Amino acid sequence: MTPNGAIVFTLVVVLAAMMSRMSGLIVLYLLCTLFAVIEVGPNATAALRRAVILMVPLAAFMVLVWVGVVGRAPADIAASQPGSRVSALVYVSIVCARLFLIVAIVQIAAMRFAAITPLQFIQLLRAPIALKRLGVLTLSLIETLLQAVDRAHTALIASGVITRRLSARNVFNGWVLVQTVWLTAITSVTGRMRDKWPMEHTLKLLDPLLAEKRKDPLRTPDKIWISCAAVAVVGIVWGDFYGLP
Amino acid sequence: MLTTPRMIAIALCAALNFAVGSIVYLIKLPLYLDSIGTILCALLIYPDRRAAFVCSFLAAMISTVITTLFINPFLIWFSATELALALVAAYFIADAEEIFRARPLPMLRFGLRVVLYGILTGVVSAVVSAPVVAYVFGGVTGSGSAFLVAFFLKAGQHLMAAVLHSGFTAEPIDKTLQVLFAALLFRATPKDFIDMVRARPQPAPT
Repeated sequence: MTPNGAIVFTLVVVLAAMMSRMSGLIVLYLLCTLFAVIEVGPNATAALRRAVILMVPLAAFMVLVWVGVVGRAPADIAASQPGSRVSALVYVSIVCARLFLIVAIVQIAAMRFAAITPLQFIQLLRAPIALKRLGVLTLSLIETLLQAVDRAHTALIASGVITRRLSARNVFNGWVLVQTVWLTAITSVTGRMRDKWPMEHTLKLLDPLLAEKRKDPLRTPDKIWISCAAVAVVGIVWGDFYGLP
Repeated sequence: MLTTPRMIAIALCAALNFAVGSIVYLIKLPLYLDSIGTILCALLIYPDRRAAFVCSFLAAMISTVITTLFINPFLIWFSATELALALVAAYFIADAEEIFRARPLPMLRFGLRVVLYGILTGVVSAVVSAPVVAYVFGGVTGSGSAFLVAFFLKAGQHLMAAVLHSGFTAEPIDKTLQVLFAALLFRATPKDFIDMVRARPQPAPT
């Protein structure tokens, strides 16, 4: 499967999830399970674990707000009915099932490319060269920024401006940390742009690396999976038309 | 339009959005603070407004995609809000770049502009993001502002009205802080770097 195919497939599934009711969600869960088993294999469990870790706090938060605080579903509020915590729980369950599917398919599709580096992923992607170059630069600068955070954090703790633990001083002087990180990063990239990259021809070397190597944007497995997702969308719309729950 | 210094500015601003937004999301503050880089990018690239808009939107989208993959999987739904923010940043907030860099700091004019643009940005993003919050997330997105939605729902308001009121309450405060932080970072940015970013691409020699 190609990165473009995975992106298109994920987008179609996400759009379908947004349109679907319970029956549609069941179809999409089956499709995603098939995709996970065939395309990702055992690594899919890691993707699912990550989806659960991301989704559980939000689900708990939703239960707290809707069931604990509000105590009735939006439909009850709209109809000016007293409602119940059970109807609120049913509402939260459907929203969470839909959101979990969305999170899971994004994680599973990302896990499909776990074996390659982010640079290789960008290299395989069919996209405008400027966008690919921007992606590579951003990944590189995130590293620079994280190193700047480490250095600035240590320096400001050593000078007594902020502390290692939660404190009022951190609240008042936290801004100094943000400013220091920004200035460190700016100084670093200005140096690279002026001296290092022109000397090493970094950007000229990057372009051939990112150039397209294949002519077709999608391969056969991509087309099969996208077609399956499209069929699921048609089924969901048809089910909706005939009033399936 | 996308010169190397501008690409660097976009990447830096995207990284800034990602870093600050993630911290705020993880500690559940009733704020977002995830668009400081978007506003800062428009300020850095102004006066070429079209480039400022395109670059700040690119910075917003890159940070949104990265945050969606690693921290908050739902942020991608707010892409339309990012687009609106980039528009406001490039066509309104960037107008104040001279005041934001003036030395000595004109406290009154600086403060007034920050509050004015903060409220404007807050109202725009509240209106644009309300349908997504209401219909995709059922009013609860995982940020601290969900408690405000719960408060308005408890008071008997319909979901869409509760989300809009929550947005009008929290967003102007959040966006005023974002404009303030972006203005202060812009003020601290070395002139050399700003000149590099603003330089127009040279035509190829004939």
